[in-house]
Amino acid sequence: MVKEASEMGSTNSSSKAWHVVYKIIKIWNVMIIEAVPDVHHNTKTLFLLQKKSDVYSVEDLWDKRSRKTDIGDEEEKYKDLKGNKKKKAEDLKKEVELDDHKLSASELEEKYGTSVNKGLSSARAAEILARDGPNSLTPPKATPEIVKFLKQMVGGFSILLWIGAVFSWISFGIQLAQGAESPFDNLYLGVVLALVVILTGIFAYYQEAKSTNIMASFSKMIPQQALVIRDAEKKELPADQLVVGDIVEIKGGDRIPADIRLIFTQGCKVDNSSLTGESEPQSRSCDFTHENPLETRNIAFYSTTCVEGTATGIVINTGDRTVIGRIASLTSGVGNEKTPIAIEIEHFVYLVAGVAISIGVLFFIISVSMRYKILDSIIFLIGIIVANVPEGLLATVTVSLSLTAKRMAKKNCLVKNLEAVETLGSTSIICSDKTGTLTQNRMTVAHLWFDNQIYSADTSEDQTTQPFDQSSPSWTALSKIVTLCNRAEFRPGQENLPIMKRVVVGDASETALLKFAEVILGDVMSIRARNRKVAEIPFNSTNKFQLSIHETDDPNDKRFLLVMKGAPERILERCSTIMINGKEEPLDSEKAEAFQTAYMELGGLGERVLGFCHLYLPEDEFPDTYPFDTDSMNFPTSNLCFVGLLSMIDPPRSTVPDAVSKCRSAGIKVIMVTGDHPITAKAIAKSVGIISATSETVEDIAKRLNIPVEQVNRREATAAVVNGMELKDMSLQQLDEILCNHSEIVFARTSPQQKLIIVEGCQRQGAVVAVTGDGVNDSPALKKADIGIAMGIAGSDAAKNAADMVLLDDNFASIVTGVEEGRLIFDNLKKTIAYTLTKNIAELCPFLIYIIASIPMPIGTITILFIDLGTDIIPSVALAYEKAESDIMNRRPRNKRKDRLVNEQLAVYSYLQIGIMQSVGAFITYFTVYAEQGFLPSTLLGVRVDWENNAINDFEDSYGQQWTKYQRMYLQWTGYTAFFVSITIQQVADLIIRKTRRNSIFQQGLFRNKVIWVGIFSQIGIALILTYGLGHVTALNFTPLRFQYWFVAVPFAILIWVYDEVRKLFIRRYPGSWWDKNMYY
Amino acid sequence: MGSKTWADLAREMKMFLWNPEERTCLGRTAKSWGLIFLFYFIFYTCLAGMFAFCLYVMLLTLSPYTPRYRDRVSPPGVMIRPYLNGFTIAFNVSQPGTWQPYVDSMHHFLAAYDDKVQEEKNIECISGRYFIQGGNESEEKKACQFKRSLLQNCSGIEDPTFGYSKGQPCILLKMNRKGNESNLRSVDFYPGNGTFDLMYYPYYGKLTHVNYTSPLVAMHFTDVKKNYMVPIQCSLNGKGIINNVNSDRFLGRIIFTLSIGK
Repeated sequence: MVKEASEMGSTNSSSKAWHVVYKIIKIWNVMIIEAVPDVHHNTKTLFLLQKKSDVYSVEDLWDKRSRKTDIGDEEEKYKDLKGNKKKKAEDLKKEVELDDHKLSASELEEKYGTSVNKGLSSARAAEILARDGPNSLTPPKATPEIVKFLKQMVGGFSILLWIGAVFSWISFGIQLAQGAESPFDNLYLGVVLALVVILTGIFAYYQEAKSTNIMASFSKMIPQQALVIRDAEKKELPADQLVVGDIVEIKGGDRIPADIRLIFTQGCKVDNSSLTGESEPQSRSCDFTHENPLETRNIAFYSTTCVEGTATGIVINTGDRTVIGRIASLTSGVGNEKTPIAIEIEHFVYLVAGVAISIGVLFFIISVSMRYKILDSIIFLIGIIVANVPEGLLATVTVSLSLTAKRMAKKNCLVKNLEAVETLGSTSIICSDKTGTLTQNRMTVAHLWFDNQIYSADTSEDQTTQPFDQSSPSWTALSKIVTLCNRAEFRPGQENLPIMKRVVVGDASETALLKFAEVILGDVMSIRARNRKVAEIPFNSTNKFQLSIHETDDPNDKRFLLVMKGAPERILERCSTIMINGKEEPLDSEKAEAFQTAYMELGGLGERVLGFCHLYLPEDEFPDTYPFDTDSMNFPTSNLCFVGLLSMIDPPRSTVPDAVSKCRSAGIKVIMVTGDHPITAKAIAKSVGIISATSETVEDIAKRLNIPVEQVNRREATAAVVNGMELKDMSLQQLDEILCNHSEIVFARTSPQQKLIIVEGCQRQGAVVAVTGDGVNDSPALKKADIGIAMGIAGSDAAKNAADMVLLDDNFASIVTGVEEGRLIFDNLKKTIAYTLTKNIAELCPFLIYIIASIPMPIGTITILFIDLGTDIIPSVALAYEKAESDIMNRRPRNKRKDRLVNEQLAVYSYLQIGIMQSVGAFITYFTVYAEQGFLPSTLLGVRVDWENNAINDFEDSYGQQWTKYQRMYLQWTGYTAFFVSITIQQVADLIIRKTRRNSIFQQGLFRNKVIWVGIFSQIGIALILTYGLGHVTALNFTPLRFQYWFVAVPFAILIWVYDEVRKLFIRRYPGSWWDKNMYY
Repeated sequence: MGSKTWADLAREMKMFLWNPEERTCLGRTAKSWGLIFLFYFIFYTCLAGMFAFCLYVMLLTLSPYTPRYRDRVSPPGVMIRPYLNGFTIAFNVSQPGTWQPYVDSMHHFLAAYDDKVQEEKNIECISGRYFIQGGNESEEKKACQFKRSLLQNCSGIEDPTFGYSKGQPCILLKMNRKGNESNLRSVDFYPGNGTFDLMYYPYYGKLTHVNYTSPLVAMHFTDVKKNYMVPIQCSLNGKGIINNVNSDRFLGRIIFTLSIGK
């Protein structure tokens, strides 16, 4: 609680009020929890209340379960949470308490009213389904639609416009009471303002909803199927139809469809990494092995994967009641950080609102002191607010963001939250997973060693041949062992698929070897068939080898071939000879030395090395009929012939090194966070460039200088490989130091929980952190991150739910394109805002001059709305299509605190320079229209009171002509139209100059962005329609305009363009100069 | 990151207003401010110059005698005198204070029509036809006499109260008229038949037609129903006159209300 409170304090004061409310709610929750725990024996109630709280409980639970967490510093940081934390963990523990693993199969049948052989009846299943609901995770509780909608109605500028509307209605009421002549004008104005707010609100809501729907449709894309026994029949059912008591069958490759108590298994192994982060598959059996349901072997958990083998089990929990469901719902309580763009827009809204309110109040005071009536002053105030607020801008921003989101979706980045589009652009640190994101997520043979030589294999994604020298007879022998001493098999029916894409039943290494052999030798299965297997000892952790005995395919050779593979040192122990160029030579110390060197070298590359040896069993001792017995091992397992080494690695994706170097030039630090071994992690980091070729870790320096690690100057090392174990013992300061001092960091052997600590560490440095993750336990880190990126293929639903973005192809390179788009949209939003703000001055000046100089009103409030929500909308969206001015991937990420979306320069340049120019141009048109009708500028000054007096119908102009009120009003509307047209014409120039901020328009190309031209034509088209088409609808205050008035402001439009070109020229010429500092936005 | 206290904020604010270390005010040094002001001074001077120049060029294109466009001011409107601030003329005969302002307004308005002034400044014209004056545009134009005495009973010469003291008010119309209402029992028109003589037209504009005085028609409501709101509509009739536009109630016509108490 206290932590949250302090976090609250650091957020800006304006949102404080909401936070206080939030805080009260929180405190209230805690009070309930503390006050009534004894009463609430029902832990569920408590649990629900707790749900709202923080993420650490997830971590806690798992820490207590399987890891000896150091509490140490972590504890210190979260000391305040401790009380709550423990309670929470206990609650969850209680929830997790299952006894199903202790029951026998028959007891289970009884408990769930099912039968292992027949399953449930369909009717019973339907009943339970109706009771429990579908077997799917409830998506995190979304904000109610109505709340979202109302938020749009009061967010941003809406409040200001509501104030304007209310003032309009108030003045309508007063005028009505006073019996003034035309009070309805103000009523209509109020209604129009309210309509504007409601319509833009609906629009924003619709956009938001649309982008959310993309996500919803995505998650429904692949409905999971489960093999269920019901009514004594095997059926394929959608997994969400499963109910408690169903009997399901799973096999290797399947995702576990619910929490299942296993009743029959065969070589079943599950990958619990999505649950615990441990990537080693764990075997599953029917035996009750541990009191703790999470530890026992006879339960398989929802959302984990069955790696190999088959199993049958009874569904014991479904949907949100599964263990993973509970964690997922816990995580969903983590508050999302405000996105950087949301902060920027908020900042911008405050800025504009501040300007609007201060000018409004200032002129309210001025007009009151100039003895205007209060009512008039209020009407001025409304005008000033409406002129100052860019009504269409927030909608434009939303559209621009969703356009980018669409573009990113095409590049495999699916954005769930529109604002996250930009977040990626301001990202300064990416904490990336290794497996699957940086790497291909499959073991591949990378190196071979035979004939005393290391050969490199092709590890690319789409290999079809292997280029290394295959002429040596040693290779022939080695390939035979690789082919035969292997239990992995292709799933049938994939002959047409490329070899690398085929699905294999078997573990990762064997799969790698199988594919490797298939690529080089062709049909491995038929080779195996020709070399019939007569005996086999599968790999186990005590032997650390795998052995099989085969007949040979040579009809003349009646000998059996014994092939063996395993840990290289264990294999070497069993060998007395070594094959060199196809010949067996005695294994002397020199050759053993060579083996050691190669083994160390390959191991140093982070690769998993396997040794291979064989022995042809003498025909006389082992005749055809020899009964091989694997238990007694009645065959030789020593004095074999060592043939070679093969090393495997999960190789980096081919696009990743390029992407990493792009990140580097874009100033983004890529941190690898992996559960893998440090050596492997470092090797992959080096091969993809996360650790560059020239940089060294402290350990490297120590090794090079031959001094102890402690003596190395830590500052010299640019790279660091931090082990999860070290991380546990680190204080936050130490972690900060590492994050600060090293530019290239790899965290190895980390648990998903530690990821959260790393993310927080990065955020303490002020970085915008992107985190990739796929497991359920990654979800807190994904939520905590400024932008959480879930993997579309490997990612769990929980991770996808917690993330802001989903990478459809799991590829790190896609993040980089996302970064590029994010940066581009930030630049383009700047342009859009600059464009939009400019004309606000041209809308505001008329009011100010009207008040001060008492001239006839130059532009009406309704007319302003037609600019803001009519002519200006399409052009400002068009700026979102603008191409980048320079290589945006060559500059550093923006500094959250300094590089604001709307900075002082942007506001000042738009408001005080271009905006004023526009006003001048528009006023020239205004004065021209009046002068040509008989009112010279000098006559107009100070006429306001008489001009607006309904009773004066002989108002004299400069020529002595006398005007009735209506004639004057009509002229005033012509003035509005002329002013409007002038602003529109000058906005065309404004649009063109906003295409670039630094480069000349001619460098950027006038015609490259076609959408800009659509914008320009739409702008002029709308203006034409309003002027000539709707010019006779008096309520809109437009009148047909003499054609020449369209051109009065053209010189000013040209001036704007020329002036801006000069500005940009000076910026390019004199970088860092006074001009550059003050004029570049 | 702790929350900022008010004292911190105040200190920051003070620092922002005046930072003694860097000698900056509002984040800028004196030199920086100077440059900014200089820049904007030059910038706005240039803009103002451009504005003035454009206006000047625009005004050069205009004739000082006739406005470029006269489409929005024709057809003509109609006004009445006395005019205080509305189109309801209400007074009580027995309370001079209620009608005196109207009388003052009339006197003030008719001062320019004094016979002496008219004889001095303007010429007599031939009635019944346009008083076309050719010659150079810039030449001063003569104006026709419209003597106050033409208004007879409404001239304020014999009755300086224009009949207001008797409950028989005079209303001056600045254009043609037509109209009668049932509550009006008797109206006299001056001069003569209640028309605007053509000789007073055309109008050559303020600059050359200096002493021009609009012709008037006075209506003398000699018998108005007392204590009633009597609405009166006067319309102009003639070529080029429009008097039936809904949106402009003063185009070619005028509506006002008389309310006379005892």
